[in-house]
Amino acid sequence: MQALQRTRICVASAMVVILLSACSGTSNQALRDFQLQTPRPFGYVIGDTIRHRILIQIRSGMALERSSLPGQGRLNRWLQLNEVSVTEQDGSDGKKYQIDFLYQQFYAPLEVKELSIPGFMLRFQQHGQTLEQPVAPWPFTVAPLRELVVRQDQHGEYMRPDQAPTLLDDKEIVQRLLMALTVATGIAVRLAWLYGYLPGLPQRSVFKRAQRKLQNLGLQQLPQALGALHAAFNGLHGKPVFLHKLAEFYQSHPEYRSVAEELAWFFDYSNCYFFGDASTMPQENDLQKIKTLCLHCREIERGSR
Amino acid sequence: MTSTQTLSDWRTSALQLEQQINQVVVGQQAAVRNLLIAVFARGHVLLEGQVGVGKTTLLRAVAQGLGGKYQRIEGTIDLMPADLIYYTYLNSEGRPCVDPGPLVKQGEQLSVFFFNEINRARPQVHSLLLRVMAERSIGAFNREYRMPHIQVFADRNRVEKEETFELPAAARDRFFMEITIDTPSDDAVLDDLMFNPRYHDVDALIGEMSASQIPYYQLNDWATAIQQSIQPTAALRKYALDLWKASADPRAFGIKLHEVEMDQMLQAGASPRGIGYMIRAAKVRAWLENRDSLLPEDLQAVYAVTMSHRIFLNSMYGYRKDELIPTLIDSILNQIAAP
Repeated sequence: MQALQRTRICVASAMVVILLSACSGTSNQALRDFQLQTPRPFGYVIGDTIRHRILIQIRSGMALERSSLPGQGRLNRWLQLNEVSVTEQDGSDGKKYQIDFLYQQFYAPLEVKELSIPGFMLRFQQHGQTLEQPVAPWPFTVAPLRELVVRQDQHGEYMRPDQAPTLLDDKEIVQRLLMALTVATGIAVRLAWLYGYLPGLPQRSVFKRAQRKLQNLGLQQLPQALGALHAAFNGLHGKPVFLHKLAEFYQSHPEYRSVAEELAWFFDYSNCYFFGDASTMPQENDLQKIKTLCLHCREIERGSR
Repeated sequence: MTSTQTLSDWRTSALQLEQQINQVVVGQQAAVRNLLIAVFARGHVLLEGQVGVGKTTLLRAVAQGLGGKYQRIEGTIDLMPADLIYYTYLNSEGRPCVDPGPLVKQGEQLSVFFFNEINRARPQVHSLLLRVMAERSIGAFNREYRMPHIQVFADRNRVEKEETFELPAAARDRFFMEITIDTPSDDAVLDDLMFNPRYHDVDALIGEMSASQIPYYQLNDWATAIQQSIQPTAALRKYALDLWKASADPRAFGIKLHEVEMDQMLQAGASPRGIGYMIRAAKVRAWLENRDSLLPEDLQAVYAVTMSHRIFLNSMYGYRKDELIPTLIDSILNQIAAP
């Protein structure tokens, strides 16, 4: 009975010791995490690059000894280390390192062959004490680029055709081209509208037509000349324009204010000619003034005045 | 032919009269101008408007400005034609007497006859008035009374329709103009009308006008002279003709109104008398504007007041009259070009 009780006490105390030692080990362990992340270990050919990443978590206060990392440059006859980069991050639960290696292998095997990236020893320092962590060699297989017995063709050694170069990304260029074309088309349409080339929009060419009619008219056809210009103004305004309604006309077509004086003269002259006593004979100069007014209106219509 | 100087002097008097009326009746410049045109074209005027907008005051001011005798009568449902010509009573000695009524009492001196609320009078009264308006004479007491200077002003309000008799087309056509008097819209004028005690006593207000500068008995001669002094050109005749034709057949001039079958809209357009009145009014306007030529703007200025009561809609569009007639007039003026 006593022996059984002693055994129980022993087992219980042993469990307490194990538990305590486990707890203290977790919190005080120098190296808490070590991972070597590697790509596939097969299917490499000459010139291929291989990335390795090491993730380490260590106790605060410890530091990686950078000289323990392999140096950049040629490691052996067929292996070169192109890049080594170390990022360090301090946290509440210790220090984290991420170490990236970019290897390039230049082995040209005749058949599939296993090679190995050599291992090395990582060292950490704390208060003059050194902790070492081995990084194991990494075996992988390389394959030849071409068959062992090289094919011959009529010109001698058989050459594979060159790989077609990849096309440059032209999506953005095409988009810009389309935008430019849209803008150019818009400008062309506006210009055509301004010049009165669009058939469906006659209001932009009313003075063009009036000008064409006026061109061949002499003083004898003064009524037709006045009528043509009146028709142009009426067409532009959408309803008849009269001298006493010029203010209303300017409200809807303010751009014609710049020739207000000429317009007032024209409507007054037309009133006198058609409705006045006709005591004054029309002068050649009057017709010229009408033509000039039409020209000015045409310029306003085109937007060039 | 009256000299240019005389016409110019007359114009000065006319514009003075206009100015005086505008001081008495404020905010009605357009209506006053139209009334003035009617006075110098010797046409009868029908005023239409809301109650209390100053129609009677306006007419009294015109009568005061013209001088001559003035008579008025109120239209009522029991008013008979005879009431305009004579009235009977027993005198202080108990003998029955017959005295001339308002139309014949003043004889040839009657210059303004004001018929208030004309649409309350019966059609019999309207027909008597038609003769007076058209012929300026009336038969009574076995003889003919002439009133060569009479000008009839009538008014009717738009509010009531009960116990009223709509004026027949013939009566309306004899009115030279139908002028609508609206409440002024200018805030300053409204403020003045509300708070200025000057407008409380209409008699005193009318009394402010100075004595007439215009001899009413010469107005007929003036009107003839004005009409003769202005000769329209061929282009204007064409424009006036188009305006007339458009009042009868707007569709032919490309006029289209909203939700209206244009070929079914009109019963009748303006009469020849109506278009003659319009030209008369336009000439007077040109004279008032100091011009010796008739312009399209003169026709446009008087087109609505002389034509809108002469265009008769089909009954199916009658209920939209207040909306359609002004729109039609606007469309005609905005569609027909001159030249």
